Amino acid sequence: MSIKKKLNRLKSHLSHEVSTKSVLTTCQSIESEIPFIEVWENEGVTPYFFDGSYCLIRERRFPIDQQHGIYTFSQFSIAVNAWNESGMKHPLSAAGIKPESFVFFDTETTGLGGGVGNSIFILGHARLSGDEIHLKQHILPSPGAEVPLYQSFLESADYTTMATYNGKSFDWPQVKTQHTLIREHVPKLPSFGHFDLYHASRRMWKHKLERMKLSIVEKEVLGIERKDDLPGFLAPMIYFDFVERKDPQGMLGILKHNEIDILSLISLYTHLSFQILGLDQKQTAKEMYEIGRWFSHVGEAEGAKESFSRLANTTNSETAAAKHALAFEYKKEKKWMDALHIWEDVVDQGNEDVIRLEACIEIAKIYEHREKNLQKAIHFTRNAEAISQKLQSVNNRKLTISHQEIMKRLERLNKRLYRSF
Amino acid sequence: MKVRKDLNEIMNHLKVAESFKENIVHWQTIEEKEASTDELPLDIHPALKEALQKRGITRLYTHQKSAYEEAIQGKSIVAVTPTASGKTLCYNLPVLQTIINDANSRALYMFPTKALAQDQKSEINEIIEEAGLPINSYTYDGDTPSNIRQKVRKAGHVVITNPDMLHSAILPHHTKWVSLFENLKYVVIDELHIYRGVFGSHVANVIRRLQRICRFYGSNPTFICTSATIANPLELAESLTEKRISLIDNNGAPSGRKHFVFYNPPIVNHPLNIRRSATLEVRKLASELLKNKVQTIVFARSRVRVEILVTYLQELIKHKLGPKAIRGYRGGYLPTERREIEKGLRSGEIFGVVSTNALELGVDIGQLQVCIMTGYPGTIASAWQQAGRAGRRHSESLVIMVASSSPLDQFIIQNPDYFFKRSPETARINPDNLIILIDHMKCAAYELPFKAGEQFGSFETEEVLEYLAEERVLYQNGDKYYWMNDSFPAHNISLRSASQENVVIIDQTDVANVKVIGEMDRFSAMTLLHEEAVYLHQGRQFQVELLDWEEKKAFVREVDVDYFTDANLAVQLKVLEQDKQQFISSGEIGYGDISITAMATIFKKIKFETHENIGSGPISLPEEELHTSAAWISLHKDIGQFNQERLEQGLIGTSHALKSIAPLFVMCDPQDIHVVPQVKAAHNEKPTIFFYDRYPGGVGLSEKIFDGFQLVLKEASDLVKKCQCAHGCPSCIGIDSSSQTAKADVLKVFETFMNGEIHVN
Repeated sequence: MSIKKKLNRLKSHLSHEVSTKSVLTTCQSIESEIPFIEVWENEGVTPYFFDGSYCLIRERRFPIDQQHGIYTFSQFSIAVNAWNESGMKHPLSAAGIKPESFVFFDTETTGLGGGVGNSIFILGHARLSGDEIHLKQHILPSPGAEVPLYQSFLESADYTTMATYNGKSFDWPQVKTQHTLIREHVPKLPSFGHFDLYHASRRMWKHKLERMKLSIVEKEVLGIERKDDLPGFLAPMIYFDFVERKDPQGMLGILKHNEIDILSLISLYTHLSFQILGLDQKQTAKEMYEIGRWFSHVGEAEGAKESFSRLANTTNSETAAAKHALAFEYKKEKKWMDALHIWEDVVDQGNEDVIRLEACIEIAKIYEHREKNLQKAIHFTRNAEAISQKLQSVNNRKLTISHQEIMKRLERLNKRLYRSF
Repeated sequence: MKVRKDLNEIMNHLKVAESFKENIVHWQTIEEKEASTDELPLDIHPALKEALQKRGITRLYTHQKSAYEEAIQGKSIVAVTPTASGKTLCYNLPVLQTIINDANSRALYMFPTKALAQDQKSEINEIIEEAGLPINSYTYDGDTPSNIRQKVRKAGHVVITNPDMLHSAILPHHTKWVSLFENLKYVVIDELHIYRGVFGSHVANVIRRLQRICRFYGSNPTFICTSATIANPLELAESLTEKRISLIDNNGAPSGRKHFVFYNPPIVNHPLNIRRSATLEVRKLASELLKNKVQTIVFARSRVRVEILVTYLQELIKHKLGPKAIRGYRGGYLPTERREIEKGLRSGEIFGVVSTNALELGVDIGQLQVCIMTGYPGTIASAWQQAGRAGRRHSESLVIMVASSSPLDQFIIQNPDYFFKRSPETARINPDNLIILIDHMKCAAYELPFKAGEQFGSFETEEVLEYLAEERVLYQNGDKYYWMNDSFPAHNISLRSASQENVVIIDQTDVANVKVIGEMDRFSAMTLLHEEAVYLHQGRQFQVELLDWEEKKAFVREVDVDYFTDANLAVQLKVLEQDKQQFISSGEIGYGDISITAMATIFKKIKFETHENIGSGPISLPEEELHTSAAWISLHKDIGQFNQERLEQGLIGTSHALKSIAPLFVMCDPQDIHVVPQVKAAHNEKPTIFFYDRYPGGVGLSEKIFDGFQLVLKEASDLVKKCQCAHGCPSCIGIDSSSQTAKADVLKVFETFMNGEIHVN
């Protein structure tokens, strides 16, 4: 029996999804004309020939005073210049980098997750060039044209400074994977600095956004509205359809989607920079607090103190937390009295018991180890114990400091006090 | 108070005690064997030599030496290594020496299970440490923390993994493993004999994919395989790897004295020739041993038997040893539970373990003194593997095989020569089974595009590639076929089971703490996890309250009842296409493709101890359909003056005898081949007996039956003739026959089938 007959019989045991659409011839060679070339040309798409094959490149330019959400592209230059002036150390700092060096980068792939068979079919990037934003999208017309795709991509920009959305763990590893397959035919991949705006966004807005997809951040934070946008999950289907039928219609939608993604990265970087540098007038207390924590996390004490002090000096939702964090900054600098005063203030005026509890313990530590005032240390530890009991009776919330720890501290302090007499 | 008896005293007791001695039909003592050794190879590095000497190794066993000499020259080998013969040096030595010679060299070790991989990692690392060599060996499996995965990929000289991981995690991400694949010198395949049947056919395709990736990166690794004793290690190694392989079978390892006892339970019903249940006899033997704290492993054929025995034994000795001293071990337990049991056995905290063949593999459980098999394990190779569990480290040991009433068991136990003198089974694989092949060609296309005209191992791909392009799974561009789908094909393909979706077992006894306690393949679930079934897990009984077939979830609750359940499967069969045909004077034999539909119909509740039927109920599950290959024999002549009923009974009895003998001849697990009689087969309206492969598309078993039909018929007929019963019994023609003529009728059917020359069409 022929294998094909057998295959048809065994079809029910074969697990792949069988499409009902008619089968089309799938042969395609370089000599034949590029299908739908007029449609492509109307969209500013041109072919790129290399090594006996071709890919497509779509180019677009946007004036820098064009608005994209709450920012114009020209504000991106302002952000970069602000970094260069501020001298603040920060992972997103553009100090020493020209606005023109930034490459904003995003891909479209045939599947989710990493794996060799998940291929990239659009490599898109944009950068500032004169008074325009120059967007370039490299399109894989069909599998097998990877060499011209990566060749054109690698020669079309300097990728030393790249900004992406989750590119560190998705897009770029995927580029590496695909590049490995054709590494003998194209230039090496560059090494580069990477601003991953996904992680930055998570840090800033995790508290208010349930999901951190770019389209959500865009809408909720940057005020960007997409019209007739394709949902991203449809992209692989549309691409497979395009590969078979060659009609660019569906692809144009994906290209538009990819374009907005990339442009949004520009506004997102601008917004994040303004937030960090304190240039955004509409910054919320929570955002400012997160900026402070971020500075603190990366060891930029001045930046942290500045954010926290600004919050501590006004009345807002984060006042107590900011004071608490500010006190920790002083503690790090061994400015015990500055820290002590803030913490005493937190205990007296704060209304968040969890913070007050921690503050009491910190005060007790300073009195015990720095001021050698055991009585005061005991007083604040007792205070902590009372708060702890109150908290436990209200709810079962897990505390950073357990009741047991407090009791131990109290016991030790009492012993020391006893011995000192 | 009685003093505890040691193993020798117990053996003497078995020989003299009334309750045991008359059931012992054969006592074979296998004498100890001296070691045969050779000098350490001259070219091994001094540090390595020193490390070996520190471990007390100053000479190599002959097979280790031969393995080294071949492998170091880059010749692929298969070494036949019985349990405890020092097989690990067969590969560790050439691999380590090669890495010492060239630090860029890489090796990939493949073990059938994670537990074995863990064992081997400690073993190789001990040598590396003692030799003070800068060599990294890591396991890479589902338990490897993500923070060290990168290190394993880049810097692991020896990567120890399993075929499932290779299939779903390494090959589909081969670009992350460039340094491994560019420098891969050795691929080690341990426990080669495990890779047979469906699983072996899958693994052969994974190896095809592996070699394809190696070619892409410019490497051509040498294969080092080790295998338990089977009839055709060389053939199996060559068909798995599609390489030229040298056979190393000069085993030089010593072995301890072993007593192999064939134990046949007493006949309790003479007219029907029914014997006492093997399970009950095993309970008696095992409790005698366990009472005396002799560490014992009991093998049982099915998961249900394991659980029943655990329940029995725990009950019997719970006051003496405590409930945790006896444990069950089988597939479906979670890994942590298994690790805990293995550790308990090594440390001696656990005295007894009741296991399915899951513990046949080389998982290190230390030295057990006694092995008891509840029934013949189905293959000679498997029986020796299980027997090897007792006294692996050269001490005196006892193996007791307790026969069940099944014809196969009775055949074996009454023909000890057959067992001790016959060569063990042949392991067969069929890498070109289309279902399996296509799954792996999809994975392969995901990993690298196929070129038109490219072979997949020895398989010509043209037609399959065209088919996959038509199905729009692949896309053809020029002379290449590209993966054209948004899925990750390896995730949907399991190497271990025919049905790809398992049923998860959820314990809802404690409403506040609902938890998953195990899983089961779909086909087994039809008869073991239907609603109202009693599912046994670690000796605890659970009743299935709800089986959600759509979602593949079984919700169970713990119960305490005195019965277990047993379900029936109704089967329908159609011939789709006949590929081969031979005429005999009494009829014809054929081979081709068939379709089978199976449906679970009813279940019975069977009381513990007495094993009487105390109730039944319907099962309402959808039909499952299977397309596979089959061999059949049809009668064109009438048999004597049989009426319809006698004909039917005759065919059923004949099938029963054939089913017991067939696995012996095609050398497979009894579950892998099924026998179905039909009084009037749908395709030719003749009385017909079908043999079919259990796996979709077939793995070549029924084809073997077709080739050796006459022999199978003769042996099965001899089995019935030689049986001591008068009118047929469970040990020859099955339990359903109550008529006085049943046995004679079956013999008549055999005679008619066999009486006739073959005419090749």
